[in-house]
Amino acid sequence: MKVDQFIVIMVSLLSSVSLLVIVSLGLALAFGMMGVINMAHGEFLMLGAYFTITAVNAGIVLPVAILISAIAMGGLGMVIERIVLRQLYGRIWATMLATWGLSLLIVGVVQLVFGTSSNGIPTPLSTIHLGGYMLSQYSLVLIALAGVLIATTYLVFARTPYGTMARAAASLPEMAAAVGINVSRVNMITFGIASALAGLGGGLLAPLSGVSPTFGQGYIGDAFMTVVVGGASPLLGASTASLLLGGIYAGVSNIVSPVAGTLALLLVSMLVLRFLPTGLTGLWRKARQ
Amino acid sequence: MKISNLRTRPSQTRALGATATIVVGVGLSFIIPAFTAHTVSLWVIYGLLALSFTFVWGHGGIFSLGQAAFFGLGGYAYGVAGIDLAPTTHETMSALLVAAVVGAGAAALLGYFVIYGGIRGVFVAVITIAATLALLTFFTSTGDPAYHIGAAMLGGDNGMVGVPSLTIPGLLSTSNGTLATVVVVAVIVWFAIAELLHRPFGRILAGTRENEFRTQLLGYDVRGRTLAAFVVGGLIAGLAGGLYAGWGNFISPQVFSLQQASLVAIWALVGGRRSLIGAFIGAFAVQGLSELLGQLTSGAVIPLVLGVILLLLVLFLPNGVLPTIVASVLGLVRQKGTAQPSVQNYVEPDPDAAFGRAPSRGLKVTAKAVSMRFGGLSVLRGIDLEVPANAVRTLIGPNGAGKSTFFNLMIGRYRPTAGEIYLGDVRVTRLRPEKRARLGLGIKTQVPSIYSELTVAENVWIAAWAVSRRTQEASRMSAHVLAGLGLTHRAAELAGALSHGELQWLEIGMVIAREPRVVLLDEPTAGMTRAETRRYVDLVAVLARSATVIVVEHDMEFVRELEAQVTMFHDGTVFAEGLMDDLRHDDRILDVYLGRADSA
Repeated sequence: MKVDQFIVIMVSLLSSVSLLVIVSLGLALAFGMMGVINMAHGEFLMLGAYFTITAVNAGIVLPVAILISAIAMGGLGMVIERIVLRQLYGRIWATMLATWGLSLLIVGVVQLVFGTSSNGIPTPLSTIHLGGYMLSQYSLVLIALAGVLIATTYLVFARTPYGTMARAAASLPEMAAAVGINVSRVNMITFGIASALAGLGGGLLAPLSGVSPTFGQGYIGDAFMTVVVGGASPLLGASTASLLLGGIYAGVSNIVSPVAGTLALLLVSMLVLRFLPTGLTGLWRKARQ
Repeated sequence: MKISNLRTRPSQTRALGATATIVVGVGLSFIIPAFTAHTVSLWVIYGLLALSFTFVWGHGGIFSLGQAAFFGLGGYAYGVAGIDLAPTTHETMSALLVAAVVGAGAAALLGYFVIYGGIRGVFVAVITIAATLALLTFFTSTGDPAYHIGAAMLGGDNGMVGVPSLTIPGLLSTSNGTLATVVVVAVIVWFAIAELLHRPFGRILAGTRENEFRTQLLGYDVRGRTLAAFVVGGLIAGLAGGLYAGWGNFISPQVFSLQQASLVAIWALVGGRRSLIGAFIGAFAVQGLSELLGQLTSGAVIPLVLGVILLLLVLFLPNGVLPTIVASVLGLVRQKGTAQPSVQNYVEPDPDAAFGRAPSRGLKVTAKAVSMRFGGLSVLRGIDLEVPANAVRTLIGPNGAGKSTFFNLMIGRYRPTAGEIYLGDVRVTRLRPEKRARLGLGIKTQVPSIYSELTVAENVWIAAWAVSRRTQEASRMSAHVLAGLGLTHRAAELAGALSHGELQWLEIGMVIAREPRVVLLDEPTAGMTRAETRRYVDLVAVLARSATVIVVEHDMEFVRELEAQVTMFHDGTVFAEGLMDDLRHDDRILDVYLGRADSA
């Protein structure tokens, strides 16, 4: 294999991995830290994409537009936590169904506001020529950003007072409340961060494809798979599962076809869960013992 | 005594109702206009899909969001079989059968991974929805003509077209005929499921849903039963999918979409998560509303309205619209003349009456060098214990000595890191909990482990049926046990309503009803009064006539009154063994555990 071909394959592999990280990090965070499976996560991505497109069309440069989407989604997430999720903690099926309702609601609103047709913005940055191949610079940016996102989230949860409180509230809410942590506020912020990550993800994905009200549906299945395969530890789980699933998807897609890649992803996920019902994080816990 | 309506024969009322519905339904099918028949057919099909969800979730306790996937696969299967077979056979009932089989097969495959993989709770929901979405991606990308089975093109995004209508030879394949067929299938399925739920399978399914581990401890293979329920759910969804494809002559990947899957949840929530008929009412109500909205507006508001409905339902009416209405109507009726269970008819538990007749067949219990490590923590370090058949043994020791871990190894919750455990001559070290239960092992756990959402009688009945596997025999046994425990007057109440002391007796009753050969009692007298504790001493004596009894206890008075051999655990080892009176004079034991009178 020639060097240029090898680099291209590696980039396509890392690109699949980074996409999974970008679409699943927010979902993994809300699940790992709060036990909330956000069925509207795909719609949060979609809203992030619409916000970004709207901002770009209003003349704002793309990076700023994406940041604005993230902040807007963070705010919306906090409102949703206050109004809906708060009532349902501890009833996991109720949170799922409620966020599912939310997902339909968001799709409905977006359809009324933006219509059902697809909107888009051009992919920024150009392509690099490498031997006989072309590489999109934007996908290189996405790969780097996926790493930055994981590192930043890690730092926030491992190194800041808020992060410590959030982890305390996640593992033992009553005890955390007893030592004076405002669990309800911590939850609101955590869901806000998770939503902001979804908004950011949607913004980053917006230039890659057309954005329509069903935009989220294209990513949500992979995001769910990544989270269940990863297991309860949000960062470690999401990143290892993204590596595994992204690698397999890219590998099989390149060799066989994207359809086979999708099926391989499903199959591998089911095999992992058959032997590690708590996901890859469970394996890591086992190994540590 | 009332043990609610379990039967071995089909209910005549229900059979009559089903027949009447079929007659009226089929009659109406041919009277109403074809266009209306077309619309109503879809509602009935959706009701069937909702029923599969109600059965799997409300009754089986599996929060499966994959019913839409089985529905879609059933639809595609009907399409393929119909397109390829109907030209030769001139009917599509065989295609319908294929749809049901494919739905059941897909559920068996997914269910095997989920249930035998030990995936529980929310992970089930996520993996089932993820599988549905993976199918959406797959079927969307089958646009290439290469994706065909026989003459049937999968068709990618546009779906499969030219699917033959529901056709029975001799009957017309009109819209009215379709409605009649759909109604007949729906009523038969409803009848079969209702019957299934009123048989032992249904009751044990309810037990598994309420308390999986207790069901396992009673000797049931919970995984097999849960998988069976899941497969039945897949079969119904597949059947509904087949009907759907025949109804619309078309099936597209949109059946795998998140929106379609969410509809299933909305129908079931409107109708109530446990109600079989509610599934149909929910589907009719929601689809009727959508139809209305579609006529009044452009139809774009439908997802919005459905989303709001789902959100409001979860927030304010989590039990479903229909059950809430029914409950409030019943509540109004009941307010006139409520009979509170009277405290006067309290009956003393009489262990001898409950259990005295069982034959003596206790098993020797042996633990050989049993060790258990959790990560770096060594909880048990080479426990050797031998309890002769029909003996009573008390385990004492400070907290953290390893007593509870030892019990957990005995019942099979964990497997020891080293060593062997025997019940009689059978090595059980690696057996699953239900297999040990079938050998005759029973446990009363520290916190009563019962089915709080089932009646007291049903609790004991499930335990009794595990042994005899005969409905009548199990009813007789549970009536007998309840009478002996003084719980007959509360038999029809939900177990969750019992007092703390009664719960302890109920759980012991569930152990007794299995006619165990080895009984483990984990701190049985915690929270009991002196008088109750004394009755417990009698109970242990009665149990020991027919079984080997091992008791973990902290109440030294109780331990002394048992007058049994005592084994003291300390730091994961057997520290001392002997009669209580001897141990009381052992200086080491006084230091480690019992304490000295003068140091207090």
